Amino acid sequence: MSPIKVRMGLLARAALTVVILAIATVTVAPQALADDAAAQAKALKRVERELRQLRADRAHDRKVIEQLKQTVDQMEGQAAQLKSANEQVKSAQTKTAQQVSEIQGRVNSGPSPRQFSQAFGSYFGTHTFEITGAAGVDYIYDQQSGALNGLPHQSQNTFLADWEPMILYRPTDWILFEGVISTAFGATGTGADLSTADFQLQLNDYLTVVGGLFDQPFGDWYEAQSPMWVNRFVSAPLPFGVDPVVPPGEMGVQLRGGLQWGALGQDFDYTTWVGDGAGYSEPVAGAAVGSPNPVAFTQTNGKGYGARLRIYPLPVDANWGRLELGASTYDSKWLDGSWYNSWGVDYNYFIGHLQTRGEWTQAYRDIPGGPSDNRQGWYVQAGYYLSGVHLPFGPEINKVVQRLEPLIRYSGVNQHFVAIDDIAAATGVGMGGIQTGLVPDFGLNGSPALYAPHSREVALGLDYWIAPSIVWQNEFDIELPEAGGTFVAGDGTMTPVGAVPNDRAFLTQFTIGF
Amino acid sequence: MRKLLFALLFAGLALGPFCGPASAADQMSKAEKGKLFLLGAQLWPTYCNQCHNARPGSEFSPQEWDAIMIHMRTLSNMPAKDARAIQEYLKGGR
Repeated sequence: MSPIKVRMGLLARAALTVVILAIATVTVAPQALADDAAAQAKALKRVERELRQLRADRAHDRKVIEQLKQTVDQMEGQAAQLKSANEQVKSAQTKTAQQVSEIQGRVNSGPSPRQFSQAFGSYFGTHTFEITGAAGVDYIYDQQSGALNGLPHQSQNTFLADWEPMILYRPTDWILFEGVISTAFGATGTGADLSTADFQLQLNDYLTVVGGLFDQPFGDWYEAQSPMWVNRFVSAPLPFGVDPVVPPGEMGVQLRGGLQWGALGQDFDYTTWVGDGAGYSEPVAGAAVGSPNPVAFTQTNGKGYGARLRIYPLPVDANWGRLELGASTYDSKWLDGSWYNSWGVDYNYFIGHLQTRGEWTQAYRDIPGGPSDNRQGWYVQAGYYLSGVHLPFGPEINKVVQRLEPLIRYSGVNQHFVAIDDIAAATGVGMGGIQTGLVPDFGLNGSPALYAPHSREVALGLDYWIAPSIVWQNEFDIELPEAGGTFVAGDGTMTPVGAVPNDRAFLTQFTIGF
Repeated sequence: MRKLLFALLFAGLALGPFCGPASAADQMSKAEKGKLFLLGAQLWPTYCNQCHNARPGSEFSPQEWDAIMIHMRTLSNMPAKDARAIQEYLKGGR
């Protein structure tokens, strides 16, 4: 029985006793009351005892209730703790399941290209070693049937293979080593040529130092247009061919950089350099210039100095295309202190599918005891991608047509003297360094117009672009020498000649920039 | 000419340590990289096509682009910030 029920029972009994006593008191006669006074006193005492007992029981019950209450509170606290712990366990289980699911998802989907690249890069370290460059196969047909009577002809009906790997080594994000090896197999065998080998140190946003063997930073051609897949034509323009007006390479140091002077795209850049200077195949008028080569060291008493400035006036946001205007100079001592001076201007512009570029160069060379060897050279070219053309001949034909780029180029060189030995020995053109055999690394053109006193050439081209750096190029050259001049032998003997007869040549090339 | 060359050399070497080498885009925040990417997307067809057909980012790995872009920035003399933008675009647009 519970303590509460016991207490209630005792209280009921006490109340009943009081009621009985009251009834007895009312109902019994006063005489009887007097007689029973002693008995009543006894009964009252008994009631008082019972009441005391009841109070004691009640106090005891209260104590028991308090204890029970405390026990219940403790149990409730423990239950709450258990509930909380249970919830935590449940939450942890859910979280773990989510994490496992995420990990599983990541494992299933694999890393993103960027994550993979970062992981790959960090695994192999920060040093990057890479080979890019270009390769090509050419076919040249150049009959030269009526060329240069009494001099070696260069009739060509031959295939050529040309491979120019460019090795890039990047030890950190501001240092690069670059080297280009030009190799070729042609009519005269295999040739190899170290075209460039230089360090590039990007010291800050405005200054890069280049040291070593590099393309001549004169004008635009040698640096920007000489790779096979970049040049839209198979051949180089006449001023940059095998008998160039300005040396194609230099061994020395450059300082260069660029900055934005106006809106986005309105840039300015500079290049200055010092090097070993120009060298010539022979110390006679009309000799081919080529630098640096072993001859340069014996011919030069001083160094060569150059500078080029370029400006880009059109803002990108205007959508007027990209225009570059440049001016260059290169001055060098040769042959015991005699001077070679040159200067030039160039432009290039492209907008949409149209691109056009051109250069003018002029060179003066003092020859001790002889006539000054002055030359001018120029070219202007334009090309238009047909990618926007839609002909009414079905999608297959349009697909072919839209990959075509028709081209035209006019170039010329004015020179009064031509070295006969250069014609006899011409086998190709290297960018610089020691050249053996045939190295047509930036355009071979065996036309006699190259060695004509006043050569002119119209080149018509049709390129078929398979990819941005894979192209099949076709070129038809019309050589139109303008006037005669003088052929000079190695011993200095000069022979006047008339204009070299006209000539035609066809060149085709499949080339890949990789 | 010689004096100009030496003056530029000394100016460059003097400024070099203060400006520091070309900073890598890796040190930028995500938002800055996003801006750089968009700028690169705008400049890529303009700057690259000036000399040759613009080649897509998918042709080379990001590590290869890092090396190629040093070469291209040197050769073209393009502003360094523009080169970094094109580099970010080529690496990110794969």
